[in-house]
Amino acid sequence: MLTGQTIRRGFLKGVSVTWELAKVVVPVYVLVTFLKHTPALKYVAGIFEPAMRLVGLPGEASIAVVLGMLANLYAALGAIASLNLSPKETTIIALMLLICHSLPMETAVAQRAGVSGALMALIRLALSVMAGIFLNIAL
Amino acid sequence: MWGPLDWGPFILEVGRGIAFNLLIMASIIIPIMILLEIARDLKLLDRFSKKMAPGLKIFGMSPEASFPLLTGFFFGISYGAGVIIEAARSGRISWKDMFLINVFLSVCHAVIEDTALFIALGADPLVIVAGRLVLALAVTYLVSCTKYVAMNDRKRC
Repeated sequence: MLTGQTIRRGFLKGVSVTWELAKVVVPVYVLVTFLKHTPALKYVAGIFEPAMRLVGLPGEASIAVVLGMLANLYAALGAIASLNLSPKETTIIALMLLICHSLPMETAVAQRAGVSGALMALIRLALSVMAGIFLNIAL
Repeated sequence: MWGPLDWGPFILEVGRGIAFNLLIMASIIIPIMILLEIARDLKLLDRFSKKMAPGLKIFGMSPEASFPLLTGFFFGISYGAGVIIEAARSGRISWKDMFLINVFLSVCHAVIEDTALFIALGADPLVIVAGRLVLALAVTYLVSCTKYVAMNDRKRC
């Protein structure tokens, strides 16, 4: 049954997701923007540049990839927002991270469901890299 | 060169960036969550999952796997987990169903909410939804053909 309660519940959920998002996005955004003004980000970017070029992303984006895979998507969103990527780069990093994110947490869930967590992490990582290479050529 | 940080422009950049990004995210997330709740209360998923159930034969899955699979696909793993655990407890779905649901969902879950967040940042919605769906279908199909799945098929979960 559809009632006013439905809309109210949806609205409150939306506000609560936005709040949870803000709690992670804001500190990460501040941190990455700060690092942009120091040599630290350039240094890390230089190390990852060759690997990132394979998927058409700048070295700086490695910080968003690492945050997304090891922490969660919200942290990656904060970093991506600060990096000013092009639309093509945003689409590539979005698909890569949507396929492969929050590995420590989500592989634990898979493990509990009787699926090898390490194997799933490996499959997702491989798919993510393949998708990145493909989109870099196709877009 | 690395000199002392200019705090004025830094604070301005951070303040503007945060306000701008959070505003866009909220303006996309809130309507999407309302739509998801409407879909839930209209039980759209029930109807859709019945229509889709026969298609699961391609993966050797039973029609009962359809509802938990779609719940995780649209609403995400944390919400879908309840439905999946319920289905497993009631004994309606086999080990193979459970295993393949997990394989599919680890690549592709919460498509509405997660996709919306990246659209807010300027990603192409069609590419990120279709890309993920195609890869999840392909991996699930390949895994369903492996000896490992055939060997464990008789097991119940």
